Amino acid sequence: MQSQSAQKRKIRQTLVAYSFIAPNFIGFAVFTLGPIIMAFLLAFAEWDGNNPLKFVGISNFTGLFTNDRFMASLKNTIVYSLFTVPFTLIVALGLAILLNQKIRARTFFRTVAFFPYVASLVAVAAVWNMLFTPAKGGLINQLLMNVLHMQPLKWAASPKTVMFTIVLFSIWKNMGYYMVIYLAGLQGISEDLYEAAALDGAGALQKFRYVTLPQLKPTTFFVTIMLTISCFKIYDIVYMLAGGSNGVVNKSATVLVYYIYEEAFRNWHLGSASAAALVLFAIVLIVTLIQFRGEKNYAND
Amino acid sequence: MRTKSTNRFITMTIIYILLIILAFVMLIPFVWMISASLKFNKDIFVIPYEWISKEPRWQNYLDIWTKIPLAKYALNTVKLTLIVTILQILTSSFAAYAFAKLQFKGRDLLFLAYIATIAVPWQVYMVPQFLFMRRLGLADTHLAIIILQAFSAFGVFLMRQFYEGIPDSLCEAARIDGMSEYGIYARIMLPLSKPALSTLTIFTFVNTWNDFLGPLIYLTTDSKKTLQIGIKMFISQYSAEYGLIMAASVLSLIPVLIVFMSLQKYFVAGITTGAVKG
Amino acid sequence: MKKRLISMLTGLTLLAASLAGCGEAAAPAPAAQAPAATEAPAKEEAPAAEAPAAEAPAAEEAPAADEPVTLKWALWDKDATVYYQPLIDGYTAAHPNVTIEMVDLGSTDYQTVLGTQLSGSDCDFDVVTIKDVPGLVTLANKNVLEPLDDLIAQDGIDLSVYSGITDQVRVSDKLYELPFRRDIWVLFYNKDVFDKAGVDYPTNDMTWEQYDELARKITDTTPGSEVYGAHYHTWRSTIQLDGILDGKHTIVDGTYDFTKPYYEMVLAQQKDGVCMDYATLKTQGLHYSAAFYQGNVGMLNMGSWFIPTVIAKIKDGENTGATNWGIVKYPHAEGVEPGSTLATITALAIPTSAPNKDAAWDFVKFVSGAEGAEIMAGTGNTPAMSNEAINSKIAEMDGFPTDANSKEALNASHAYLEMPANEKSSEIEQVLNEQHDNIMNEVSTVDEAIAAMNEGVQAILGQ
Repeated sequence: MQSQSAQKRKIRQTLVAYSFIAPNFIGFAVFTLGPIIMAFLLAFAEWDGNNPLKFVGISNFTGLFTNDRFMASLKNTIVYSLFTVPFTLIVALGLAILLNQKIRARTFFRTVAFFPYVASLVAVAAVWNMLFTPAKGGLINQLLMNVLHMQPLKWAASPKTVMFTIVLFSIWKNMGYYMVIYLAGLQGISEDLYEAAALDGAGALQKFRYVTLPQLKPTTFFVTIMLTISCFKIYDIVYMLAGGSNGVVNKSATVLVYYIYEEAFRNWHLGSASAAALVLFAIVLIVTLIQFRGEKNYAND
Repeated sequence: MRTKSTNRFITMTIIYILLIILAFVMLIPFVWMISASLKFNKDIFVIPYEWISKEPRWQNYLDIWTKIPLAKYALNTVKLTLIVTILQILTSSFAAYAFAKLQFKGRDLLFLAYIATIAVPWQVYMVPQFLFMRRLGLADTHLAIIILQAFSAFGVFLMRQFYEGIPDSLCEAARIDGMSEYGIYARIMLPLSKPALSTLTIFTFVNTWNDFLGPLIYLTTDSKKTLQIGIKMFISQYSAEYGLIMAASVLSLIPVLIVFMSLQKYFVAGITTGAVKG
Repeated sequence: MKKRLISMLTGLTLLAASLAGCGEAAAPAPAAQAPAATEAPAKEEAPAAEAPAAEAPAAEEAPAADEPVTLKWALWDKDATVYYQPLIDGYTAAHPNVTIEMVDLGSTDYQTVLGTQLSGSDCDFDVVTIKDVPGLVTLANKNVLEPLDDLIAQDGIDLSVYSGITDQVRVSDKLYELPFRRDIWVLFYNKDVFDKAGVDYPTNDMTWEQYDELARKITDTTPGSEVYGAHYHTWRSTIQLDGILDGKHTIVDGTYDFTKPYYEMVLAQQKDGVCMDYATLKTQGLHYSAAFYQGNVGMLNMGSWFIPTVIAKIKDGENTGATNWGIVKYPHAEGVEPGSTLATITALAIPTSAPNKDAAWDFVKFVSGAEGAEIMAGTGNTPAMSNEAINSKIAEMDGFPTDANSKEALNASHAYLEMPANEKSSEIEQVLNEQHDNIMNEVSTVDEAIAAMNEGVQAILGQ
């Protein structure tokens, strides 16, 4: 009898849980998940959006891995993410801690840090290109030559430095965004923990190490995943910085989503675009799963 | 004691120097936007750049209203942004509660499915999604944009992560007091999650406000178009009116900044302390 | 709960059905033989089509002259383009039963939006504007455009008025569009720059060597007061395509050694400060018009679309540096007739899903025909149907340079499309763009880049 009522309670609990999820999930499943599943099926087909779909097995994938431009995009995206994710994370956390202090004009500084994220990309890219112009007269090149006694760099115009320029740019543009998430996360840490740590004689660094960091773990999980995903999905920044006035993005700068965009809307090879997206998806999924396990471990201890 | 206060003084000085450098680096684009919005198009991309124009062209701020129906577009954008933001916050925080605080079958799998879809670039499923929406008769409607934006996985993920940080013991205590799950959500979780709700509001607002490709694909009737489509109209096939683009962009930034500034005050330490103790 | 599940399932089924439906509807249309047959099932499936479904097929069979019809016309830059409204007014004056509704899809992403809208079979556009040839080819390959050959034969339309352009845009030997606007490339120059240097103006008959010499004569490299003899916008067309003007090569050949002399000429100019540096121009995003209006650029090779813009910008006070300007014909290779130049066209096409095909065809005929050309010329834009009378009309426009050479420059002897139709136009363009960028950024030598072009394009053509 008792186990039956326990079971009933469990069912009830599950139904309650589903009722919480339903409003969002139904909209999400019908209008996003459905089309996504459809898109994944397309990875095994040839389709141009209108003519009958033709299933072609895995030939889209074999085609991708023998395509120079795709391989270059894959490599560039991975390199970009490897540099951008950790640096953005560190800078954003630092900023958040700094702007969580009781300082004057805090609202102003917080708003200012969020600024490059909301400002129009055209404006942000134009300013950047003006400072980092390949010409010798540019401000940054002047600094390099006169202060650091280095050769001027060609920045976005050279295949050697273009990815570096893009990484710098996106850290600058996006750190305010992740700072906001960290700021929200910091508010969730109870003062008691800091007081307890202080009683144990912990200094500022130790408080950070033993209270702030572990308490921020769910936030860091979120930030890492969102950052990884957004790095793998980067495309407009590349188009603005490397494409320049004629929109030609070279092999040295092309990235996965830019490749997908070209395949889908210039050549209308929707199947091959989907296959490329599946590759992207697989990589991000692996990173997410690793993170997810790490988070589970945290919850247990 | 004296060394401590000197130390503090030095630390604060360093902090302020850092902040001022930061503010400078972050504000350049904004200054550029304002400066460019007061220029003729031909003078904008010229080096050396003239930061303060000798003859500011205020005319740009008048032209943007007459060259395109900017007021109508702004109104559409306001409407869409408000509806999407409200829906997003309600449904996301609701769903996130289940993912964070309730036990049920398939929870982790479902949650993973949510996160995973964030990783799929929109460009890939845009065509199937559009064809489907058009079959439902939703092409060229504002409802389509609302549906596209309001049920995002992002909001659920963000809220769930924040709820994770709220101790389970709080919910347990309320359950023992006989409170229903809906009650716990409404009376305990929501008031505690103001920082996260503020974050989600800011992000959703910014995203919907600045969304371009979605409205561009779906909205073809002039009177339904949005602000960002309007701004792009200044880029025509053979010329681009950057002076006008920047004037419109400066104006379109104002609501975003107001929302940010009024919500960031919820990022204040110690809000949760009292509640957690209780 | 159950209800929710059901609604969710219904949604998913609908999705599956709709996608399957798209494939089906398009399936029986391998060619153009049975456009009516493909139309019918699509109509029945379409839920709550706004126009009563029964009316459309009836209109197709026998267009009653007085029955009200609304045509949806997909285009870009509705408000910034001066000739759409006059064209519509001209047509509806003679056809009062027709209403034409412009649908502005934006200029920057036009092809993406149009391609998406025309996917499936539910699109209700009657007439679509085609922006460029790669865009035409992708749409034709998608089978969403109606081939026009039968209609052209039926109405006895003379294609020779388009001076050979229509032959260059056939896809798999079918014509899917009729051009209504054709822009040719000319050489713009700033008379003040030449006067100041005391050098004679360019002429309508110059070889590339003479052009290069002229550019160098007027150049001044003094820091702070530079004068550039020539300006090349960052597009591939401005340099690479100079090579096809001798009529011996096309840009889809698969061998590109003929581009070498032109790249070498411009690279040398770039090195000597005769023109601005490509890398800076590209990242800085300086528009060619802004460069020209600064008043320190001598010559600029650009399309005739720039003519009305220059005139308008002098009037509104933005162009203060190049108010005294002129145009001449493109320079030519040794032994080639002067007046050979590049051309781009803008054309109209009819989607296979168009609800009012007959009315649409009638409108397309009007816009691309003699009456449309008159209206186009009246707005200062160059129609596809080009002849001396039309060109004189353009030259009479207020603000057009008054010298005889500028007027004569509009008459092209040969016009080669920037990109002729080829199954692989968009892929080929990608390779050529990338190598152009490599040469101009001096990442590769001219020889290396040409080898890469040959290899890349041949691989695409061999597929």
